[in-house]
Amino acid sequence: MTIQTYWQIDVAAEPARSEISARGTAHGLFRDVRTSALNRYDYYAQIAQAAAQTAFDGVFLPHRRQSDDAAIVAAAIAREVPRIALIAEFPASAGSAVYAAKQAVSFQRLARERLGWSIAPPLSAEERVHDGDRVADEDLIARTEEFLTVARGVHGERPYSYAGRFFEVQGGGFEAPLNRVPFPRVFLQGESEEALALSARSADVHVFAAQSFASLRSQIEALDALALREGRTVGFGLAQPVLAREDGGEARRDAARVAIGEFALVGDYDDVAARLAELARLGIRHFVLSAPSSLEEAYAVGQHILPRFRVLSEQLRAAA
Amino acid sequence: MTIDFYWRLPTHGCHGSIRHGAYDRGDWSPLGPGNIAPGLGRNGEDDGFRYIDHLAEIAKAAESAGFIGGLIPSFPNTDDPWVISPLLARDTKTFRFMIAFQPGFLNPVHAARMSASLQRATGGRTVFNIITGGGGPAQLWWGDSFSHDDRYGRTTEFLDVFKGVWKETNFSYQGQFYQVEEGGLSPLLAREEIPEIWFSGSSDAALQSASKHADYYLSWLEPFDQLTDKFARVKERTAALGGEQKCAVRVDLVARPTEEEAWRDIRIGFENVGEERRRQGRGGATDSVGAARQQALRPSEARRYEDLIVAPNLWGGFNLLRGGPALGIVGSYEQCAARLDELIARGTDAFILAGTPHFEEAYRVGEEVLPLLGRKADLLLDAAE
Repeated sequence: MTIQTYWQIDVAAEPARSEISARGTAHGLFRDVRTSALNRYDYYAQIAQAAAQTAFDGVFLPHRRQSDDAAIVAAAIAREVPRIALIAEFPASAGSAVYAAKQAVSFQRLARERLGWSIAPPLSAEERVHDGDRVADEDLIARTEEFLTVARGVHGERPYSYAGRFFEVQGGGFEAPLNRVPFPRVFLQGESEEALALSARSADVHVFAAQSFASLRSQIEALDALALREGRTVGFGLAQPVLAREDGGEARRDAARVAIGEFALVGDYDDVAARLAELARLGIRHFVLSAPSSLEEAYAVGQHILPRFRVLSEQLRAAA
Repeated sequence: MTIDFYWRLPTHGCHGSIRHGAYDRGDWSPLGPGNIAPGLGRNGEDDGFRYIDHLAEIAKAAESAGFIGGLIPSFPNTDDPWVISPLLARDTKTFRFMIAFQPGFLNPVHAARMSASLQRATGGRTVFNIITGGGGPAQLWWGDSFSHDDRYGRTTEFLDVFKGVWKETNFSYQGQFYQVEEGGLSPLLAREEIPEIWFSGSSDAALQSASKHADYYLSWLEPFDQLTDKFARVKERTAALGGEQKCAVRVDLVARPTEEEAWRDIRIGFENVGEERRRQGRGGATDSVGAARQQALRPSEARRYEDLIVAPNLWGGFNLLRGGPALGIVGSYEQCAARLDELIARGTDAFILAGTPHFEEAYRVGEEVLPLLGRKADLLLDAAE
């Protein structure tokens, strides 16, 4: 079994860091020579570089309406981090499925097949009207499914035609050389029965939210059963906040300062690695790890937890 | 008054020479000796370079040679400008990314977020070439079944919403194609400048939409009198609506130290055109008015390259040598500069230039032709006769 670890770059977190425009005038004794040419793109690139240098397999960029678009960020940093996977999240309301597939194909060609797609969880009805999205609540799942069907259709076949409720294409599909790259791996989320059923039909990886061990186990079993019925294999993923320190007491102290959330893994390096290994034993293969401070914690996790976690998962594999 | 000169990033590979049809830069031709990005490594394997590495070379050449940016075209078998631009954002310093796209393919609120994000990634170097025409089977390939005039209505509404959510915090809109209630970008994104908007399209529906939203009206090169009339009509219509429309021309150049050398390259290129390329030059089904105007030149029927010289230094067979419009400028550096000067005198406010191969010609045109502009009043007078 191969385990994939991704570091989360949250474009809306730490909004003042590396963002001159967010800081206001400096009233200090030091001479500040930073200009607005320095902004969070430098920071995003730095986090991705930290993730690459500490042997994460990729970075995961959630969609945040108030900040930079994840697909633009992924492309902007891609050439500076040549190896790791870039999972960009966007809403199914972004536009035409054909055009999304076209952009994905270009990304795959130009950035060496490292793109992943995460379809953002649906917005509330109120948020959708702010965003000019007219699709009704009861149609959201169907729209996401059709979006993926059409995008995969034009990617995989030529000529491809489809007349659906939300998307339509005639004689679509890509010619050489655009037809030579794989479709991005598709990540979906959601805890509801409908979300799990959609993942069973359409996801490559379902990313569960951090939750108790028992409830995660039952969610995995539910999805597994649904996927089996569809005759598909869906990878199990987990969005897991972590906070680890050399000493467990320090970790708990720092966790209290940042309010990291009930289901975060907090502890010393060995503890946290052991907890991740338990999750791997439960079937999780895609770990989207995150922490409130993206850069420093990427180093902490990448340098200290991932090597320990790899040893434990090797043992797991040997035992299996 | 200063004039903005853009170059072009070829998004369907690039020919190493105007004389030959092979796309030996990029992977639109088979990988073999002499191909680059990707090329063959020392062991005869794919060397790992990708076409974006060559595009980065062209963008950096263009910015270094004095171009303000480059047009990034979009067609079914090209790479995509929304991906190319952010990929090159941090490799370039001043190069503006002119993204060609059809508004119908994106949700306008999402497009506004993407654009503001790209403005932040580039320090405000995003420009749009809004495309609405085309049509025929290609439109259905893209998943778009709207009629020609509906598409222009949709473009107008798209830009209403795109600009509205950017400029206002509680923007509501009830259009035929788009509805938004109390939308708006976050302060982080909204403080960016809205990208300059370049429009194409020769039909009445296009001009109506352009007069409301375009900063520049972009035309392919047409015979100079025809182009002068067209620009006058565009400027008049916009003025009637209380706006001001700048006009821009897209044109390929073959600029050489002497006129003889320039025509020699054209002659060799023309003689190397195969029958298949001629057939392609006859074009497919489209409801684009601009394409129809160009096809009236019929370069695919010509037997000699001289048959396609429509005026001094104007040759109408470029679409036989590479994809794109038919008419271009051929001549010495001085003659090319004089023709551009003449276009400026006739109301052109900006240019998108190109030459094949795009990398070398960016330096050549930037270094040899652009510095001559505005200095050749005598040649300009000769040309006007």
